[in-house]
This record gives sequence, structure tokens and C-alpha cells, in this order.
Amino acid sequence: MEKFQKFVAIAPWTMIFTWINLIILVLVMKKLLFKPVMNMFAQRENEVNSMYANAEEAQKNAENMEKEYSEKLSAAKEEASRIMKDATHEAALRGEQIVSDAQQKASAIVTKAQKEIEREKEAAVSEIKQDIASLAVNIAEKVIEKDLNETDHERLLEEFIENSGEEK
Amino acid sequence: MNVNGPKILFKIPVLGGIPVTETVVNGWIVVVILSVLCFFLGRNLSARNPSKKQIFVEKIFIMLQNLIKGTMGEHNMFFLPYIGALFAYSMLSSLCGLVGLRAPTGDLNTTVAFALVTFFLIQFFNIKNKGVGGWLKGFTEPVAVITPLNLISEIASPISMAFRHFGNIASGIVITGLIYGALAGLSNILLGWIPVVGSIPFLQAGLPAILSIYFDVFTSFLQAYIISMLTMVYVGGANEPKVPVAQKQ
Repeated sequence: MEKFQKFVAIAPWTMIFTWINLIILVLVMKKLLFKPVMNMFAQRENEVNSMYANAEEAQKNAENMEKEYSEKLSAAKEEASRIMKDATHEAALRGEQIVSDAQQKASAIVTKAQKEIEREKEAAVSEIKQDIASLAVNIAEKVIEKDLNETDHERLLEEFIENSGEEK
Repeated sequence: MNVNGPKILFKIPVLGGIPVTETVVNGWIVVVILSVLCFFLGRNLSARNPSKKQIFVEKIFIMLQNLIKGTMGEHNMFFLPYIGALFAYSMLSSLCGLVGLRAPTGDLNTTVAFALVTFFLIQFFNIKNKGVGGWLKGFTEPVAVITPLNLISEIASPISMAFRHFGNIASGIVITGLIYGALAGLSNILLGWIPVVGSIPFLQAGLPAILSIYFDVFTSFLQAYIISMLTMVYVGGANEPKVPVAQKQ
């Protein structure tokens, strides 16, 4: 058995072994290194894509919410100003109402008071008339000491009352 | 001093005895080392917060990917594992010389095996893309007279590939062997008269280490790169994109 191969010699078995080594190496590298690396790259790409998608969605949501909130805010402001206006208006109405009520009541009271005064005055006048009449009769009786006839008496009385009534 | 080929370590007693040489055994060692390396490098890859190891792996992978994209085109990306394996096998085989093993690439049969793969891939893709008639007709172009030259150049390219790689590594082995021999002789002449100590070839330390940076490290990388590059260029040329790149845009 030859211990050494020639320095430059074709040995088919060595070539076959080399091919087998290459095939094994290709399979091993593919399985243990290239596949995992490529999977990792794909996973990274997916993650980045999904992150971008999430970010875009979040931004869209935020924009929508902002729009919604600003709409709500402006609606609320409108509502508030409307309520204020209503309240002011109502208050003004109420005020007017109260004032006019008060005026009405006051004028009613005044009218009533005037009527009362009138009536009191009339009562007082008629009472005074009677007092004066009896007083005059008494005075006249005492002065002339004689009884006038019934007709003269009545006439004198009425004349007197008439005159005293006018001299107020 | 004898310049020998790889030692025949043993024979597998089938088919009239299959010789298993140093080349084959060292090739197995290379395959085992690369498999273990791939196992550790391809483990625990994560899409987020890559480790330093992973950054290195990614860098190498992207470099290889760009190299294939640049020379062979995007449609030939399925060659990535083969080119990666060829480069790693060639390089680590040559680097065997650093630890005193005989480099498998210092055996012509290894490099011829590499070149034949490339050669058959070229022919396979030419036949696949042009049909048998088109493939045969391709040798008579541009004029029928130069058919012999075309045939020679077709066969010459794998041969030159194989011999270039083999020659670079084998000459490294030979020169390293010669220098070791010469340094041992010189050592013997200068220090041989001292008893006991004189038998130690002191001069063998130092100079061979510096030379091995060129013959082993630099040449290993360069030849691995050259054979991978030539394979990519030849096979890429045989399997061009179906739609010309200009029309794609």
C-alpha cells in the first residue's frame, strides 16, 4: 500500500468525498445559519411593518378623537351660551312681570284707599250735617223760643245744610 | 526532503478499497467545525436587541447577500447557501495549515471538485435556459470557425480555477516545508556542536510564523474569495434574468 498520494494526482474518491462534504455543508449551513437568519430578518420586517401600522392607526385615532373633542367642546360652548341667553331673557321677563305686578297692586291699593277715603268723608259729612242740623234746631229753638211750624222748620233746615255743605 | 501529496491514512475495504487521505479526514474536521460554528452563530437570533454575535452574523450575511445580488442578480439568491458553504469550506480548509494539518485545498482533487461543480452548473443553466440546441449552437458563435477555441475556453475556465486555488495553497505547503527544512539545517550548523540543546532547531521559531501570515491567512482568504467570486460570475452569466433589467423598471 502506497503511503502517500502523488503531489498532483487525480483521485476520484477524494473528489466524491469533497462533494459529499460540500452537500452536507450546504444543508447544515442552510438549516442552522441561513434559515434562522432569514427568518429573523422576516420577523423583524413584520415587526417593523406592524409597528408602523399600529403607529398610523394610533395617530388616526388620536386625530379622530381630537376632532370629536373639539366638536363636543364647541357644542358645549354653544349650549352654555344658549343657556345663559335663555336665563338672562327669562330673568328680564320675570323682572318686568314682577314690576308690573307690583305696579298693579300698588295702583289697586291706591284706588281702594281713595274709595275708602271718599266713603269716610261722605260718612263724616253726613254725620256732621246731622249734628249741625240738630244743633241749629236747638239753637234756633233757644233763640226764638218759639215753635216754628213744621214747614218753615224743614225749609230752614235744608237751607242751612245746603249752605254749610257748600262752605267746605 | 520529499514533496508528497496527502498521506493515505486508511482504506475502506469496499469497491476495491476506497482510499481515505488526509484531505478527506481534514475535510471532515472542517465540516464538523463549521457545523458547530453555524449552530452557535445561528442560535438565539432575535428580531429585537440583537447581541454582538448576532450583529456580526447579520453583517456577514448581508455582505454575502449583496455580493450575490451584485454578481448574479436577485433571481439567483437560492445560490446563497452554496456560495456561503464554498467560501467557508475553502477558507477553513486552507487555514488548516495554521495548525499543522495538511490543507484539503492543497490537494488538487478538492479544488477540481469545486471547479467541476461550477462547470456543471454553467452547463446545466445554459441547457436549461437555451435548450440543448441553443446550448450547442452557443459554441459556434459568433462564427463557426472559432468553435474549437470556444470549447477550449469552456474547459479551461474550471481547470484554471482548480489549479489556481490548488497551486496557491500547495505552494504555501511546499515553501513552508522547505523553509522548515532549511531552518533546521541552519540551526544544526550553527548550534549543532552544543550537546543536547543543539538538537533543538531554535531557528524554526519565528520566521515561519511571519510567513504563515501570508501563505496561510492571506492566501486562504484571497483564494476562497476568488473561487467563490468566479463561481458567482460564471454561474450568474449562465443564468441571466429572463426579463432584462432595463425593461423591469
